[in-house]
Amino acid sequence: MAPILLWLILVLCLLISAVKYLMGMILKFSFASTKVQKDYAYQPTVSVLMPCYNEGRTVYETIESIGKSNYPNHKFEVIAQDDCSVDDSYDWMLKAQHDFTNIRVRTGRNEVNSGKARSVCNALQHSTAEIIISIDSDCIFHPDAIRELTACFAEPGIGSVGGRVGVRNPNDSVITAIQTVVYYSAFQLYKIPENWTRSICCISGCLFAIRRELLLEIEPAIRARNWFGIPVNQGEDRFLTHQTLLRGYGTYINNDALCWTKVPNTLPVLFKQQLRWRRSIVRDFFFTLRTLPQHVWKLHPNTVFTLVLTPLGAVVGFLVVITMLTSDPLAWAGPVPLITALGVGAVLTWAIKKYSAKEAVTHPLAFGAYVAWSLVSSLFLTPLALCTMDSADWGTRTKPHEVHLGNTNR
Amino acid sequence: MRCTLATPTVNTPASETREDPPASENKNIPVKQSLHYKLVITLYRVFAITVLYLVLAGIISYAFVMGFYAVNSSWAAPIILSAADEKSLDFRQKLVASQQSIEDLKVDTKKLDSGLAEMKKHRAALLALEPELQRAIVREQTHNRTTGPELATLDRQKQADNLKTQKVLAQLKGVESNITKDLASGLITQGDAATQLAALNQAKGAYTDSKIAEVLLTDSVLDKTTTGTNSLDVLVKQAELRSEVAQLDVALNVAEKQLQEEARQIDRLRQAIQTAKQSPYYLNASGEKTLYFAFIPYDNQASAVAGSPIYDCYLNMVACRKVGTLKQIYAGEETSIHPIFKTQIRGFLVQMNLDHAESAKSKTVFLGSKPVLF
Repeated sequence: MAPILLWLILVLCLLISAVKYLMGMILKFSFASTKVQKDYAYQPTVSVLMPCYNEGRTVYETIESIGKSNYPNHKFEVIAQDDCSVDDSYDWMLKAQHDFTNIRVRTGRNEVNSGKARSVCNALQHSTAEIIISIDSDCIFHPDAIRELTACFAEPGIGSVGGRVGVRNPNDSVITAIQTVVYYSAFQLYKIPENWTRSICCISGCLFAIRRELLLEIEPAIRARNWFGIPVNQGEDRFLTHQTLLRGYGTYINNDALCWTKVPNTLPVLFKQQLRWRRSIVRDFFFTLRTLPQHVWKLHPNTVFTLVLTPLGAVVGFLVVITMLTSDPLAWAGPVPLITALGVGAVLTWAIKKYSAKEAVTHPLAFGAYVAWSLVSSLFLTPLALCTMDSADWGTRTKPHEVHLGNTNR
Repeated sequence: MRCTLATPTVNTPASETREDPPASENKNIPVKQSLHYKLVITLYRVFAITVLYLVLAGIISYAFVMGFYAVNSSWAAPIILSAADEKSLDFRQKLVASQQSIEDLKVDTKKLDSGLAEMKKHRAALLALEPELQRAIVREQTHNRTTGPELATLDRQKQADNLKTQKVLAQLKGVESNITKDLASGLITQGDAATQLAALNQAKGAYTDSKIAEVLLTDSVLDKTTTGTNSLDVLVKQAELRSEVAQLDVALNVAEKQLQEEARQIDRLRQAIQTAKQSPYYLNASGEKTLYFAFIPYDNQASAVAGSPIYDCYLNMVACRKVGTLKQIYAGEETSIHPIFKTQIRGFLVQMNLDHAESAKSKTVFLGSKPVLF
């Protein structure tokens, strides 16, 4: 009975994912209401908050790319907040502050290593702008990114807007090629049905715009996030998006607002990143379950389904993989999963090449390795995430000689 | 960790006055963990570490088991066959059908045998008639060859005689009229005339008889010297006799062949039944004792030696103990599902003598020696 129930839940999760991809395609090309009515004349003041931790020279390049934005210079500023980096990130911030005099760059440094979410909150204290844009310090931004994000706030109900995250290093390795395809399909298809109901469940922290008053309202909750007394500093983007929705605002992804990030190109780094994300998903899932009546009452059914079934799929996926490995271990090595992955990969790499040549993947067959990754992901990430909920380690930016910073102030 | 170069956020350009850090920037007040929370976290960590180690151990064990069964070539998968097993029932059903076929064939054979004997007797009788007939024909032909020419000569003589007689009778026409004239003239008495006329008629009658005899003689000559219908009838009868014998020969031949074929079929069925009786499914279905079987894939064939010891292990590979010996190897091919990889594999069955009946329920047993050192 139990395995049947598992399979049913998994099939439901996969079905919803498949329907979402399908709906994404239909909505993308058929329904104008999927997109917000952008108003480029609406130009509010903007603070670009850039928390930074051990990014080195990249910080400089990020600020440089923001400086080239097609947005009135007097209407935006960059507030760079270093989170006690142990490398020369802060020096690069200061250099950027010195070099890019066409824009207002403000720099600061946390007293203690506080994590990304609290660094954003710290930076927020210095902002008076109407719109806050939180960015990752390792991204390069399209000149129109700020303009595109702010134009969406012309629609009154919108509380948060995200941009599309492209991959700067699609052909570094098979791992980056897979991520390129996944990123592209997630933004261009998977999130489109959520866009339709203005209920994106997770806006990427790489490029996250939010109304100032809304962020100020949520800030105490961000600072208070803890897990049995252990502060939580991961998954702030998911948390912010979720809080935006619960406060009755809409959330939206504007795929014309572009930023580019370097995705992990080695398996250990990817694993750490995915583990961090999985922890956020699990944590968010528990939060959703704890407050399910509130969700059902307040949110669009599409949003509730996404918030419940996406993480549930990850949890059930683990059990299903275990069941499969014990009952039919060679099924994973069979041709069906590989052919499916190769087929999906071929279509998506063609689409990427056609519509986003900058991210074109040179080895379309690389997506076949997704089968192996999905096995690793289902088998290891969920139990590891469930068993390391007390970890505050960011994972991907800790320097080898550095002491673990995650919980030092706790 | 406290940051040594902590600074408040400052405006660019650098010459601008530094701002004091806003009060809110120092909001990173550590969240005080209550005793209750500390206890929960401690329990969670103990639980998480245990779970993670268990998961790790599970994964390593799983990988080891997979690798082990990929290279090991001495395992066998015990099979418990029940009497109600579909294959056993099917086997038994086929066996009964085969035995029934043998009985049917035996009845057929007996029928054929008796028919064959009857046909042979009839053939012998027919064959005995043939020389008799042949001899009669020869005898008749020999006689005809002798009497035929004699009769022909006599026939020719008779014809000549009759010719002469005819001429004489022609001369007698005048005699008859003379008698009538003599009677009318009173030269002779009526008695004399009657006597003379009677003699004359007698001579004519004798001629007619002689003519008839000639014709009959000619017929006899014809019969003796040429092939007549009687002879043809005899020949037809001879041909019929031969044909009947030939038909009997064919029938005998067919019956003998059928008999041989049925005998062969009975042999084959007997052999098949004999073989079937050695099958584990038959033994299982018919035996009163519980028998233990195991499936061995062809890859592990080298390990299947009659008499070799059988080991049963914990976790399918360690802490093994000897549980019996391999009794018999069955030749027929079987297919089964790999106990670990769950793929279909080909192999054969063996019978085991088990001291520990529980081992028949194990997923795998090992032949020859312990798969690992203990």
